[in-house]
Amino acid sequence: MDKILGMDEKSCIDLKNVSIGYYGIPIIKDVTFSITRGDAIVLLGQNGSGKTTLFKTILRIIPPLQGNVVYNNTPPVRFGYVPQSQSLDEIYPFTALDIVLMGTFGQIKPFSITPKKNRILANQCLMDVGMLESRKKLFSELSGGQKQRVLIARALAASPNILLMDEPITGIDADAIKMIIELIAMLHKKHSLTVMMITHESFNIPSWINKTIQIRNNEVVVENAR
Amino acid sequence: MDQLFEIISPNFLLRNSFYAGLVIGLVCPQVGIFFVLRRMLLMGIALPQVSNAGITFAFLLHTLGWHFFPHVESEKAMALTGSIIFTLFAIFLLAILERKGKGFTENRIGLTYAIAGAASILFVSWNPYGHSEAISLLKGEIVTIPDVYFWSTLAIYGVIFIFLTGFHRNFMLISFDNDMAVAMGKKVIVWNILLFLIIGIVISFGVMAVGPMVIFGFLLLPAITAKMITRGIFPFCIISSVIGVFAAFTGFYISYRFDLPTGPIDIALLGIIFFISCLIKIVIPKNRTH
Repeated sequence: MDKILGMDEKSCIDLKNVSIGYYGIPIIKDVTFSITRGDAIVLLGQNGSGKTTLFKTILRIIPPLQGNVVYNNTPPVRFGYVPQSQSLDEIYPFTALDIVLMGTFGQIKPFSITPKKNRILANQCLMDVGMLESRKKLFSELSGGQKQRVLIARALAASPNILLMDEPITGIDADAIKMIIELIAMLHKKHSLTVMMITHESFNIPSWINKTIQIRNNEVVVENAR
Repeated sequence: MDQLFEIISPNFLLRNSFYAGLVIGLVCPQVGIFFVLRRMLLMGIALPQVSNAGITFAFLLHTLGWHFFPHVESEKAMALTGSIIFTLFAIFLLAILERKGKGFTENRIGLTYAIAGAASILFVSWNPYGHSEAISLLKGEIVTIPDVYFWSTLAIYGVIFIFLTGFHRNFMLISFDNDMAVAMGKKVIVWNILLFLIIGIVISFGVMAVGPMVIFGFLLLPAITAKMITRGIFPFCIISSVIGVFAAFTGFYISYRFDLPTGPIDIALLGIIFFISCLIKIVIPKNRTH
Protein backbone atom coordinates (compact mmCIF):
# COMPACT_ATOMS: atom_id res chain seq x y z
CA MET A 1 0.00 0.00 0.00
CA ASP A 2 1.36 3.43 -0.89
CA LYS A 3 1.88 6.40 1.40
CA ILE A 4 -1.38 7.56 2.96
CA LEU A 5 -2.53 10.71 4.69
CA GLY A 6 -1.75 10.82 8.39
CA MET A 7 1.46 8.79 8.08
CA ASP A 8 4.41 10.31 9.89
CA GLU A 9 6.90 11.73 7.34
CA LYS A 10 9.78 10.05 9.15
CA SER A 11 8.24 6.61 9.40
CA CYS A 12 8.82 4.24 6.52
CA ILE A 13 6.53 1.40 7.59
CA ASP A 14 3.39 1.62 9.75
CA LEU A 15 1.56 -1.41 11.08
CA LYS A 16 -2.00 -0.58 12.16
CA ASN A 17 -4.10 -3.13 14.03
CA VAL A 18 -2.49 -5.93 12.07
CA SER A 19 -3.30 -9.58 12.75
CA ILE A 20 -0.77 -12.09 11.46
CA GLY A 21 -0.89 -15.83 10.99
CA TYR A 22 -1.42 -18.64 8.51
CA TYR A 23 -4.51 -20.11 6.84
CA GLY A 24 -6.79 -17.57 8.55
CA ILE A 25 -5.60 -18.54 12.04
CA PRO A 26 -4.04 -15.55 13.83
CA ILE A 27 -0.85 -15.95 15.85
CA ILE A 28 -0.71 -12.32 17.01
CA LYS A 29 -3.56 -9.77 16.92
CA ASP A 30 -3.71 -5.96 16.96
CA VAL A 31 -0.07 -5.26 16.18
CA THR A 32 0.50 -1.51 15.94
CA PHE A 33 3.91 0.11 15.63
CA SER A 34 6.01 2.21 13.25
CA ILE A 35 9.44 1.71 11.80
CA THR A 36 11.16 5.06 11.45
CA ARG A 37 14.05 5.88 9.14
CA GLY A 38 17.36 5.19 10.89
CA ASP A 39 15.81 2.89 13.47
CA ALA A 40 17.82 0.00 14.87
CA ILE A 41 15.24 -2.48 16.11
CA VAL A 42 15.46 -5.84 17.80
CA LEU A 43 12.49 -8.19 17.67
CA LEU A 44 12.48 -10.49 20.68
CA GLY A 45 10.39 -13.50 21.53
CA GLN A 46 10.48 -17.18 22.31
CA ASN A 47 10.59 -19.89 19.66
CA GLY A 48 7.22 -20.16 17.91
CA SER A 49 6.01 -16.80 19.23
CA GLY A 50 5.51 -15.40 15.70
CA LYS A 51 8.69 -13.36 15.18
CA THR A 52 9.41 -14.75 11.72
CA THR A 53 5.73 -14.52 10.74
CA LEU A 54 5.72 -10.83 11.70
CA PHE A 55 8.92 -10.36 9.71
CA LYS A 56 7.46 -12.04 6.66
CA THR A 57 4.32 -9.93 6.93
CA ILE A 58 6.42 -6.77 6.91
CA LEU A 59 8.35 -8.15 3.90
CA ARG A 60 5.04 -8.81 2.05
CA ILE A 61 5.83 -12.53 1.92
CA ILE A 62 2.67 -13.32 3.95
CA PRO A 63 -0.42 -11.09 3.70
CA PRO A 64 -1.82 -9.76 6.98
CA LEU A 65 -5.04 -11.43 8.12
CA GLN A 66 -6.43 -8.09 9.26
CA GLY A 67 -5.35 -4.46 9.40
CA ASN A 68 -2.89 -2.58 7.21
CA VAL A 69 0.83 -2.49 6.68
CA VAL A 70 1.53 0.93 5.15
CA TYR A 71 4.76 1.62 3.27
CA ASN A 72 5.96 5.19 2.80
CA ASN A 73 7.00 5.41 -0.82
CA THR A 74 9.03 8.63 -0.70
CA PRO A 75 11.65 7.28 -1.12
CA PRO A 76 10.38 3.77 -1.94
CA VAL A 77 11.07 1.09 0.63
CA ARG A 78 13.75 -1.31 -0.62
CA PHE A 79 14.22 -4.36 1.56
CA GLY A 80 17.40 -6.26 2.15
CA TYR A 81 16.43 -9.61 3.59
CA VAL A 82 18.72 -11.94 5.52
CA PRO A 83 17.00 -15.28 6.16
CA GLN A 84 18.09 -17.88 8.68
CA SER A 85 21.03 -19.55 6.95
CA GLN A 86 19.76 -22.99 8.04
CA SER A 87 16.64 -22.44 5.96
CA LEU A 88 18.68 -22.50 2.73
CA ASP A 89 19.36 -25.88 1.13
CA GLU A 90 23.08 -26.61 0.81
CA ILE A 91 22.57 -28.90 -2.18
CA TYR A 92 22.75 -25.84 -4.45
CA PRO A 93 26.33 -25.46 -5.72
CA PHE A 94 26.40 -21.70 -5.27
CA THR A 95 29.66 -19.94 -4.51
CA ALA A 96 29.65 -17.00 -2.10
CA LEU A 97 29.79 -14.68 -5.14
CA ASP A 98 26.81 -16.47 -6.78
CA ILE A 99 24.81 -15.91 -3.60
CA VAL A 100 25.64 -12.21 -3.41
CA LEU A 101 24.87 -11.71 -7.10
CA MET A 102 21.31 -12.87 -6.34
CA GLY A 103 20.81 -9.58 -4.55
CA THR A 104 21.26 -7.82 -7.90
CA PHE A 105 18.82 -10.04 -9.85
CA GLY A 106 16.12 -7.38 -9.61
CA GLN A 107 18.32 -5.06 -11.71
CA ILE A 108 19.30 -7.56 -14.45
CA LYS A 109 17.15 -8.04 -17.55
CA PRO A 110 16.35 -11.57 -18.73
CA PHE A 111 18.43 -13.01 -21.59
CA SER A 112 21.47 -10.96 -20.59
CA ILE A 113 24.76 -11.91 -19.02
CA THR A 114 25.56 -10.48 -15.59
CA PRO A 115 26.68 -6.86 -16.18
CA LYS A 116 30.15 -5.86 -14.98
CA LYS A 117 28.72 -3.22 -12.62
CA ASN A 118 26.74 -5.93 -10.81
CA ARG A 119 29.86 -8.01 -10.34
CA ILE A 120 31.70 -4.94 -9.01
CA LEU A 121 28.80 -4.24 -6.63
CA ALA A 122 28.72 -7.87 -5.43
CA ASN A 123 32.48 -7.84 -4.83
CA GLN A 124 32.17 -4.52 -2.97
CA CYS A 125 29.46 -5.99 -0.73
CA LEU A 126 31.62 -9.05 -0.06
CA MET A 127 34.47 -6.70 0.85
CA ASP A 128 32.19 -4.74 3.21
CA VAL A 129 31.43 -7.91 5.15
CA GLY A 130 35.04 -9.15 5.04
CA MET A 131 34.35 -12.12 2.76
CA LEU A 132 35.97 -11.06 -0.52
CA GLU A 133 38.74 -13.65 -0.27
CA SER A 134 36.17 -16.43 0.15
CA ARG A 135 34.08 -15.41 -2.85
CA LYS A 136 34.92 -18.56 -4.81
CA LYS A 137 34.18 -20.92 -1.92
CA LEU A 138 30.97 -22.89 -2.02
CA PHE A 139 28.29 -21.56 0.33
CA SER A 140 27.93 -25.06 1.80
CA GLU A 141 31.64 -25.04 2.79
CA LEU A 142 31.42 -21.85 4.87
CA SER A 143 31.07 -21.72 8.66
CA GLY A 144 27.85 -20.46 10.25
CA GLY A 145 29.27 -16.96 10.84
CA GLN A 146 30.68 -16.76 7.29
CA LYS A 147 27.31 -17.79 5.83
CA GLN A 148 25.61 -15.01 7.77
CA ARG A 149 28.10 -12.48 6.45
CA VAL A 150 27.57 -13.67 2.86
CA LEU A 151 23.80 -13.41 3.32
CA ILE A 152 24.21 -9.88 4.70
CA ALA A 153 26.32 -9.06 1.62
CA ARG A 154 23.53 -10.44 -0.60
CA ALA A 155 21.01 -8.22 1.17
CA LEU A 156 23.33 -5.20 0.69
CA ALA A 157 23.67 -5.97 -3.02
CA ALA A 158 19.96 -5.18 -3.40
CA SER A 159 20.85 -1.58 -2.40
CA PRO A 160 18.32 -1.59 0.44
CA ASN A 161 17.24 1.18 2.79
CA ILE A 162 15.83 -1.32 5.30
CA LEU A 163 17.78 -4.39 6.36
CA LEU A 164 15.72 -7.19 7.91
CA MET A 165 17.66 -10.05 9.49
CA ASP A 166 16.11 -13.25 10.78
CA GLU A 167 18.21 -14.53 13.71
CA PRO A 168 21.60 -13.50 12.30
CA ILE A 169 23.44 -14.52 15.48
CA THR A 170 21.74 -17.83 16.20
CA GLY A 171 23.80 -21.00 16.06
CA ILE A 172 27.21 -19.36 15.70
CA ASP A 173 30.14 -19.10 18.13
CA ALA A 174 30.86 -16.15 20.43
CA ASP A 175 33.59 -14.65 18.21
CA ALA A 176 31.36 -14.84 15.15
CA ILE A 177 28.49 -13.21 17.09
CA LYS A 178 30.76 -10.31 18.07
CA MET A 179 31.91 -9.94 14.45
CA ILE A 180 28.36 -9.98 13.06
CA ILE A 181 27.11 -7.45 15.64
CA GLU A 182 30.01 -5.12 14.82
CA LEU A 183 29.31 -5.55 11.11
CA ILE A 184 25.62 -4.67 11.53
CA ALA A 185 26.57 -1.62 13.65
CA MET A 186 28.96 -0.49 10.93
CA LEU A 187 26.33 -0.92 8.20
CA HIS A 188 23.74 0.91 10.30
CA LYS A 189 26.07 3.87 10.66
CA LYS A 190 28.00 3.84 7.37
CA HIS A 191 25.02 3.20 5.05
CA SER A 192 22.43 4.94 7.30
CA LEU A 193 20.44 1.73 7.07
CA THR A 194 17.28 1.12 9.01
CA VAL A 195 17.99 -2.19 10.69
CA MET A 196 15.61 -4.73 12.19
CA MET A 197 16.73 -8.09 13.47
CA ILE A 198 15.17 -11.04 15.17
CA THR A 199 16.85 -12.72 18.08
CA HIS A 200 15.82 -14.75 21.07
CA GLU A 201 19.06 -14.00 22.88
CA SER A 202 18.16 -10.90 24.88
CA PHE A 203 21.62 -10.78 26.51
CA ASN A 204 23.21 -10.04 23.12
CA ILE A 205 21.35 -6.80 22.41
CA PRO A 206 23.90 -4.13 21.50
CA SER A 207 23.82 -0.64 23.01
CA TRP A 208 23.10 1.15 19.71
CA ILE A 209 19.66 -0.49 19.38
CA ASN A 210 17.02 2.22 19.85
CA LYS A 211 13.85 0.13 19.89
CA THR A 212 12.92 -3.33 21.11
CA ILE A 213 9.76 -5.11 20.05
CA GLN A 214 8.91 -8.00 22.28
CA ILE A 215 6.33 -10.69 21.61
CA ARG A 216 4.90 -11.99 24.90
CA ASN A 217 1.78 -14.12 25.26
CA ASN A 218 0.64 -13.34 21.69
CA GLU A 219 0.98 -9.60 22.28
CA VAL A 220 3.48 -7.12 20.93
CA VAL A 221 5.18 -4.71 23.35
CA VAL A 222 7.26 -1.87 21.88
CA GLU A 223 9.92 -0.21 24.03
CA ASN A 224 12.11 2.71 23.04
CA ALA A 225 15.58 2.09 24.36
CA ARG A 226 16.90 5.64 24.09
CA MET B 1 35.30 -43.98 -38.85
CA ASP B 2 33.25 -44.25 -42.04
CA GLN B 3 30.16 -44.84 -39.94
CA LEU B 4 30.86 -41.70 -37.96
CA PHE B 5 30.95 -39.64 -41.17
CA GLU B 6 27.83 -41.43 -42.35
CA ILE B 7 25.98 -40.48 -39.15
CA ILE B 8 26.82 -36.79 -39.39
CA SER B 9 26.04 -36.68 -43.11
CA PRO B 10 22.87 -34.59 -43.89
CA ASN B 11 21.49 -37.47 -45.97
CA PHE B 12 21.82 -40.07 -43.21
CA LEU B 13 18.66 -42.20 -43.13
CA LEU B 14 18.28 -42.09 -39.33
CA ARG B 15 19.24 -38.42 -38.99
CA ASN B 16 15.99 -37.55 -37.16
CA SER B 17 16.76 -40.06 -34.42
CA PHE B 18 20.35 -38.88 -34.20
CA TYR B 19 19.52 -35.15 -33.93
CA ALA B 20 16.53 -35.77 -31.64
CA GLY B 21 18.89 -37.61 -29.29
CA LEU B 22 21.33 -34.69 -29.31
CA VAL B 23 18.54 -32.18 -28.61
CA ILE B 24 17.25 -34.33 -25.75
CA GLY B 25 20.81 -34.67 -24.43
CA LEU B 26 21.13 -30.88 -24.48
CA VAL B 27 17.77 -29.84 -23.01
CA CYS B 28 16.76 -32.60 -20.57
CA PRO B 29 19.74 -32.01 -18.22
CA GLN B 30 18.74 -28.32 -17.99
CA VAL B 31 15.38 -29.47 -16.64
CA GLY B 32 17.03 -32.23 -14.62
CA ILE B 33 19.12 -29.75 -12.63
CA PHE B 34 15.88 -28.50 -11.06
CA PHE B 35 14.89 -32.07 -10.18
CA VAL B 36 18.24 -32.52 -8.43
CA LEU B 37 18.40 -29.11 -6.73
CA ARG B 38 14.75 -29.07 -5.63
CA ARG B 39 15.17 -32.65 -4.36
CA MET B 40 12.48 -33.98 -6.70
CA LEU B 41 14.47 -36.94 -8.05
CA LEU B 42 11.65 -39.38 -7.40
CA MET B 43 9.31 -37.19 -9.40
CA GLY B 44 11.75 -37.57 -12.28
CA ILE B 45 11.11 -41.32 -12.14
CA ALA B 46 7.34 -41.15 -11.73
CA LEU B 47 6.46 -38.50 -14.32
CA PRO B 48 7.90 -40.29 -17.41
CA GLN B 49 5.90 -43.34 -16.31
CA VAL B 50 2.75 -41.21 -16.06
CA SER B 51 3.48 -39.80 -19.51
CA ASN B 52 3.82 -43.36 -20.80
CA ALA B 53 0.43 -44.23 -19.27
CA GLY B 54 -1.06 -41.25 -21.14
CA ILE B 55 0.40 -42.54 -24.41
CA THR B 56 -0.88 -46.09 -23.97
CA PHE B 57 -4.30 -44.75 -22.94
CA ALA B 58 -4.43 -42.69 -26.14
CA PHE B 59 -3.50 -45.78 -28.21
CA LEU B 60 -6.33 -47.64 -26.52
CA LEU B 61 -8.83 -44.88 -27.33
CA HIS B 62 -7.61 -44.88 -30.92
CA THR B 63 -8.17 -48.63 -31.22
CA LEU B 64 -11.65 -48.24 -29.78
CA GLY B 65 -12.40 -45.79 -32.58
CA TRP B 66 -12.25 -42.51 -30.65
CA HIS B 67 -10.40 -40.24 -33.06
CA PHE B 68 -10.16 -36.65 -31.90
CA PHE B 69 -7.85 -35.62 -34.71
CA PRO B 70 -7.75 -36.07 -38.52
CA HIS B 71 -6.89 -39.64 -39.35
CA VAL B 72 -3.48 -38.88 -40.86
CA GLU B 73 -0.98 -39.59 -38.06
CA SER B 74 -3.96 -39.36 -35.72
CA GLU B 75 -2.72 -41.98 -33.27
CA LYS B 76 0.55 -40.04 -32.82
CA ALA B 77 -1.25 -36.75 -32.21
CA MET B 78 -3.59 -38.47 -29.77
CA ALA B 79 -0.68 -40.16 -28.02
CA LEU B 80 1.11 -36.84 -27.60
CA THR B 81 -2.07 -35.22 -26.29
CA GLY B 82 -2.55 -38.11 -23.85
CA SER B 83 1.05 -37.80 -22.73
CA ILE B 84 0.77 -34.04 -22.13
CA ILE B 85 -2.60 -34.24 -20.32
CA PHE B 86 -1.56 -37.10 -18.03
CA THR B 87 1.83 -35.53 -17.22
CA LEU B 88 0.56 -32.01 -16.54
CA PHE B 89 -2.34 -33.34 -14.47
CA ALA B 90 0.05 -35.46 -12.38
CA ILE B 91 2.67 -32.74 -11.95
CA PHE B 92 0.18 -30.09 -10.82
CA LEU B 93 -1.68 -32.54 -8.55
CA LEU B 94 1.60 -33.58 -6.91
CA ALA B 95 2.67 -29.93 -6.59
CA ILE B 96 -0.65 -28.92 -4.99
CA LEU B 97 -0.53 -31.83 -2.53
CA GLU B 98 3.08 -30.93 -1.73
CA ARG B 99 2.09 -27.32 -1.07
CA LYS B 100 -0.77 -28.38 1.18
CA GLY B 101 1.59 -30.77 2.99
CA LYS B 102 -0.79 -33.73 2.74
CA GLY B 103 1.00 -36.99 3.58
CA PHE B 104 4.59 -37.87 2.72
CA THR B 105 6.15 -36.90 -0.61
CA GLU B 106 7.73 -40.35 -1.09
CA ASN B 107 4.37 -42.06 -0.56
CA ARG B 108 2.62 -39.86 -3.11
CA ILE B 109 5.31 -40.30 -5.75
CA GLY B 110 5.68 -44.04 -5.10
CA LEU B 111 1.92 -44.44 -5.48
CA THR B 112 1.93 -42.39 -8.70
CA TYR B 113 4.74 -44.52 -10.14
CA ALA B 114 3.07 -47.81 -9.25
CA ILE B 115 -0.36 -46.80 -10.56
CA ALA B 116 1.06 -45.29 -13.76
CA GLY B 117 3.18 -48.40 -14.42
CA ALA B 118 0.26 -50.74 -13.85
CA ALA B 119 -2.09 -48.58 -15.94
CA SER B 120 0.39 -48.56 -18.85
CA ILE B 121 0.55 -52.36 -18.89
CA LEU B 122 -3.23 -52.71 -18.61
CA PHE B 123 -3.90 -50.21 -21.41
CA VAL B 124 -1.44 -52.09 -23.63
CA SER B 125 -2.84 -55.51 -22.79
CA TRP B 126 -6.35 -54.35 -23.78
CA ASN B 127 -5.01 -52.99 -27.02
CA PRO B 128 -2.99 -55.24 -29.34
CA TYR B 129 -2.72 -52.40 -31.88
CA GLY B 130 -0.61 -50.19 -29.63
CA HIS B 131 1.38 -53.07 -28.16
CA SER B 132 4.41 -52.92 -30.43
CA GLU B 133 4.60 -49.11 -30.28
CA ALA B 134 4.40 -49.09 -26.48
CA ILE B 135 6.95 -51.87 -26.06
CA SER B 136 9.29 -50.02 -28.42
CA LEU B 137 8.89 -46.88 -26.30
CA LEU B 138 9.53 -48.79 -23.07
CA LYS B 139 12.72 -50.30 -24.53
CA GLY B 140 13.93 -46.92 -25.72
CA GLU B 141 14.45 -47.91 -29.34
CA ILE B 142 15.09 -44.55 -30.93
CA VAL B 143 15.11 -45.76 -34.51
CA THR B 144 12.50 -44.00 -36.57
CA ILE B 145 11.22 -40.58 -35.69
CA PRO B 146 8.88 -39.12 -38.36
CA ASP B 147 9.75 -35.67 -39.73
CA VAL B 148 6.69 -34.01 -38.19
CA TYR B 149 7.66 -35.37 -34.81
CA PHE B 150 11.27 -34.43 -35.11
CA TRP B 151 10.54 -30.83 -36.12
CA SER B 152 7.87 -30.34 -33.46
CA THR B 153 10.21 -31.77 -30.79
CA LEU B 154 13.01 -29.53 -32.06
CA ALA B 155 10.75 -26.45 -31.97
CA ILE B 156 9.35 -27.17 -28.51
CA TYR B 157 12.71 -28.11 -26.98
CA GLY B 158 14.34 -25.09 -28.65
CA VAL B 159 11.80 -22.69 -27.16
CA ILE B 160 12.14 -24.35 -23.75
CA PHE B 161 15.93 -24.20 -23.87
CA ILE B 162 15.84 -20.49 -24.72
CA PHE B 163 13.32 -19.92 -21.93
CA LEU B 164 15.32 -21.85 -19.34
CA THR B 165 18.55 -20.04 -20.15
CA GLY B 166 16.93 -16.60 -20.56
CA PHE B 167 15.04 -16.79 -17.26
CA HIS B 168 17.64 -18.94 -15.51
CA ARG B 169 18.11 -16.42 -12.68
CA ASN B 170 14.41 -16.31 -11.82
CA PHE B 171 14.02 -20.09 -11.85
CA MET B 172 17.09 -20.47 -9.62
CA LEU B 173 16.02 -17.74 -7.21
CA ILE B 174 12.49 -19.10 -6.67
CA SER B 175 13.92 -22.60 -6.22
CA PHE B 176 16.69 -21.62 -3.79
CA ASP B 177 15.09 -18.87 -1.72
CA ASN B 178 11.38 -18.43 -2.23
CA ASP B 179 11.09 -15.74 0.48
CA MET B 180 13.88 -13.64 -0.99
CA ALA B 181 12.19 -13.87 -4.41
CA VAL B 182 8.89 -12.60 -2.94
CA ALA B 183 10.71 -9.83 -1.07
CA MET B 184 12.27 -8.80 -4.39
CA GLY B 185 8.82 -8.57 -5.96
CA LYS B 186 9.02 -11.71 -8.11
CA LYS B 187 5.74 -13.43 -8.93
CA VAL B 188 6.78 -16.74 -7.41
CA ILE B 189 3.56 -18.65 -8.16
CA VAL B 190 3.74 -17.70 -11.84
CA TRP B 191 7.39 -18.76 -12.11
CA ASN B 192 6.68 -22.05 -10.31
CA ILE B 193 3.75 -22.82 -12.63
CA LEU B 194 5.95 -21.98 -15.62
CA LEU B 195 8.70 -24.30 -14.39
CA PHE B 196 6.26 -27.17 -13.84
CA LEU B 197 4.75 -26.56 -17.30
CA ILE B 198 8.23 -26.76 -18.83
CA ILE B 199 8.96 -29.97 -16.93
CA GLY B 200 5.64 -31.47 -18.06
CA ILE B 201 6.13 -30.56 -21.72
CA VAL B 202 9.75 -31.73 -21.84
CA ILE B 203 8.78 -35.08 -20.37
CA SER B 204 5.69 -35.49 -22.60
CA PHE B 205 7.51 -34.80 -25.86
CA GLY B 206 10.61 -36.67 -24.75
CA VAL B 207 8.75 -39.81 -23.76
CA MET B 208 6.90 -39.77 -27.09
CA ALA B 209 10.22 -39.54 -28.92
CA VAL B 210 12.48 -41.88 -26.94
CA GLY B 211 10.50 -43.51 -24.12
CA PRO B 212 10.32 -43.12 -20.34
CA MET B 213 13.58 -44.86 -19.43
CA VAL B 214 15.74 -42.71 -21.70
CA ILE B 215 14.06 -39.49 -20.57
CA PHE B 216 14.49 -40.44 -16.94
CA GLY B 217 18.17 -41.13 -17.57
CA PHE B 218 18.82 -37.88 -19.43
CA LEU B 219 16.91 -35.84 -16.84
CA LEU B 220 18.80 -37.09 -13.84
CA LEU B 221 22.16 -38.72 -14.59
CA PRO B 222 23.92 -35.76 -16.29
CA ALA B 223 22.81 -33.38 -13.52
CA ILE B 224 23.82 -35.77 -10.72
CA THR B 225 27.22 -36.34 -12.34
CA ALA B 226 27.84 -32.65 -13.02
CA LYS B 227 26.88 -31.77 -9.45
CA MET B 228 29.63 -34.07 -8.24
CA ILE B 229 32.46 -32.73 -10.41
CA THR B 230 31.77 -28.99 -10.67
CA ARG B 231 31.94 -25.97 -8.39
CA GLY B 232 29.54 -23.09 -8.89
CA ILE B 233 26.13 -22.98 -10.54
CA PHE B 234 27.32 -21.91 -14.01
CA PRO B 235 29.76 -24.82 -14.56
CA PHE B 236 27.14 -27.16 -13.10
CA CYS B 237 24.57 -26.17 -15.73
CA ILE B 238 27.04 -26.21 -18.64
CA ILE B 239 28.65 -29.54 -17.75
CA SER B 240 25.21 -31.18 -17.30
CA SER B 241 24.34 -30.50 -20.92
CA VAL B 242 27.85 -31.34 -22.16
CA ILE B 243 27.52 -34.78 -20.53
CA GLY B 244 24.04 -35.21 -22.02
CA VAL B 245 25.10 -34.32 -25.57
CA PHE B 246 28.28 -36.42 -25.32
CA ALA B 247 26.31 -39.49 -24.18
CA ALA B 248 23.67 -38.99 -26.90
CA PHE B 249 26.31 -38.65 -29.64
CA THR B 250 28.56 -41.49 -28.50
CA GLY B 251 25.56 -43.69 -27.64
CA PHE B 252 24.11 -43.30 -31.11
CA TYR B 253 27.45 -44.11 -32.74
CA ILE B 254 27.96 -47.26 -30.64
CA SER B 255 24.38 -48.31 -31.23
CA TYR B 256 24.70 -47.85 -35.02
CA ARG B 257 28.14 -49.42 -35.20
CA PHE B 258 27.24 -52.55 -33.22
CA ASP B 259 23.51 -52.73 -34.00
CA LEU B 260 22.34 -52.25 -30.41
CA PRO B 261 19.27 -50.37 -29.06
CA THR B 262 20.19 -46.70 -28.69
CA GLY B 263 18.29 -45.81 -25.49
CA PRO B 264 19.85 -48.43 -23.21
CA ILE B 265 23.31 -47.68 -24.68
CA ASP B 266 22.83 -43.96 -23.89
CA ILE B 267 21.84 -44.76 -20.31
CA ALA B 268 24.70 -47.24 -19.89
CA LEU B 269 27.11 -44.55 -21.10
CA LEU B 270 25.66 -42.02 -18.66
CA GLY B 271 26.12 -44.62 -15.92
CA ILE B 272 29.76 -45.18 -16.91
CA ILE B 273 30.41 -41.41 -16.93
CA PHE B 274 28.83 -41.22 -13.46
CA PHE B 275 31.04 -44.00 -12.06
CA ILE B 276 34.19 -42.55 -13.64
CA SER B 277 33.30 -39.20 -12.05
CA CYS B 278 32.86 -40.94 -8.69
CA LEU B 279 36.33 -42.49 -9.06
CA ILE B 280 37.87 -39.15 -10.02
CA LYS B 281 36.19 -37.55 -7.02
CA ILE B 282 37.64 -40.23 -4.71
CA VAL B 283 41.12 -40.29 -6.24
CA ILE B 284 41.68 -36.52 -6.50
CA PRO B 285 42.14 -35.01 -3.02
CA LYS B 286 39.44 -32.52 -2.08
CA ASN B 287 41.83 -29.59 -1.65
CA ARG B 288 42.99 -29.92 -5.27
CA THR B 289 39.51 -29.12 -6.50
CA HIS B 290 39.42 -25.87 -4.48
